[in-house]
Amino acid sequence: MSADACGSQHCITCGDVAVEMTVLRVDEARELALCEADDGRHETVEVALVAPVRPAERLLVHAGTAIAHQGGVL
Amino acid sequence: MKFVDEFRDAELGRAVSGRILSLVEPGRHYKLMEVCGGHTHSIYKYGIDDLLPANVELVHGPGCPVCVIPMGRVDDGIAIAHQDGVIFTCFGDMMRVPGSNGSLLEAKAAGADIRMVYSPLDAMRIAKQNPDREVVFFAIGFETTAPSTALTLKRARAEGLRNFSVMCSHVTIVPPLRALLESPDLRLDGFIGPGHVSTVVGARPFEFIPADYGKPIAIAGFEPLDILHAVEMILRQIAEGRCEVENQYKRVVPYEGNLRALEVMAEVFELRPHFEWRGLGFISHSGLKLSAAYAELDAEVRFSIPGVRVADPKACQCGEVLKGVIKPWECKVFGTACTPERPIGTCMVSSEGACAAYYNYGRFAREREVV
Repeated sequence: MSADACGSQHCITCGDVAVEMTVLRVDEARELALCEADDGRHETVEVALVAPVRPAERLLVHAGTAIAHQGGVL
Repeated sequence: MKFVDEFRDAELGRAVSGRILSLVEPGRHYKLMEVCGGHTHSIYKYGIDDLLPANVELVHGPGCPVCVIPMGRVDDGIAIAHQDGVIFTCFGDMMRVPGSNGSLLEAKAAGADIRMVYSPLDAMRIAKQNPDREVVFFAIGFETTAPSTALTLKRARAEGLRNFSVMCSHVTIVPPLRALLESPDLRLDGFIGPGHVSTVVGARPFEFIPADYGKPIAIAGFEPLDILHAVEMILRQIAEGRCEVENQYKRVVPYEGNLRALEVMAEVFELRPHFEWRGLGFISHSGLKLSAAYAELDAEVRFSIPGVRVADPKACQCGEVLKGVIKPWECKVFGTACTPERPIGTCMVSSEGACAAYYNYGRFAREREVV
């Protein structure tokens, strides 16, 4: 479960919510990365689907797995 | 915040709202379905429907992964959870979905070892920490979540993890959309396409909607301006006589999707001949199961489960809500017998469920001025 900005409790995984995170460190051999959410929370993220990734990159993470690079045009 | 603030700009929102107003024909009613529960949540949270003309109606589709799980499937999970030596793991909202004899949360209170996890990888970690226990992960969700389960299964097999298995209830988005389009009691003018599912599957799978059914679709992100912009795109297509798949969420969704994710899903999963959806019944080729190569990690092979179909409670109208036939507040038990604290139907469980979203952010129907 996670609290959103309004404080309501909901499961972001069930809700198909993807969270933007910043890559801090990469373990290329295991295809894992330590990432930081905007609220400061750290999480180990599976990055096999978006590899290669580098520190400071922004990823879209769902259920502990990065599904896309966050970027592109506005 | 980059990629957030830009999409919550009130002035821009009013400008898009004005353009939408200029695209609609007075006297014509437009019915658009947002497929994804995340969109439903955003629409209610930000009051997006209040920025639309009264003759543009948003109806809520079957895209909440919790809401579409039938009661019998919950019973199957509880049956596994009660077996000796089992640690049963699942996502948070799934704990509260009622089965025919209670929820996973109630089974936990009754003594079953049921734990909430944030990801399949968390469940695998629990298996490693408890080598003398059988750890089962209840996998739910659309194509957004399925790659995560697939990667975890590949990892578990590569590491030779023998006490870990998955009860796979993943579903796919295209078959229910086709079923909805074939439904005689539903007339839709267009679709707001799912953003995060499309990150994985891309835009191509939705081409059948304009090609076979003549309806426009715009894949959208989840910020208020994303959704308003997608509505504008759909209405502009209608106004200009066009009908195609447009991608409003280009900053994340590639047209071809995430090819690696599709590959790993194809390796680990295969389509079930049919799968039961809450309120929608059995839909062909709409559910995933583990492929034969991963059978040793399949909880449905490893454990005995009842596998009994259970009818929804008579008072519950989740099916009509999921098909967009009725609005949440039109359900007989909405907000009275069925609340987020004590849900009867699954649409009231997850905050992405149409009923819970409406209960939390809207609650009652509001009259709007007719254009």
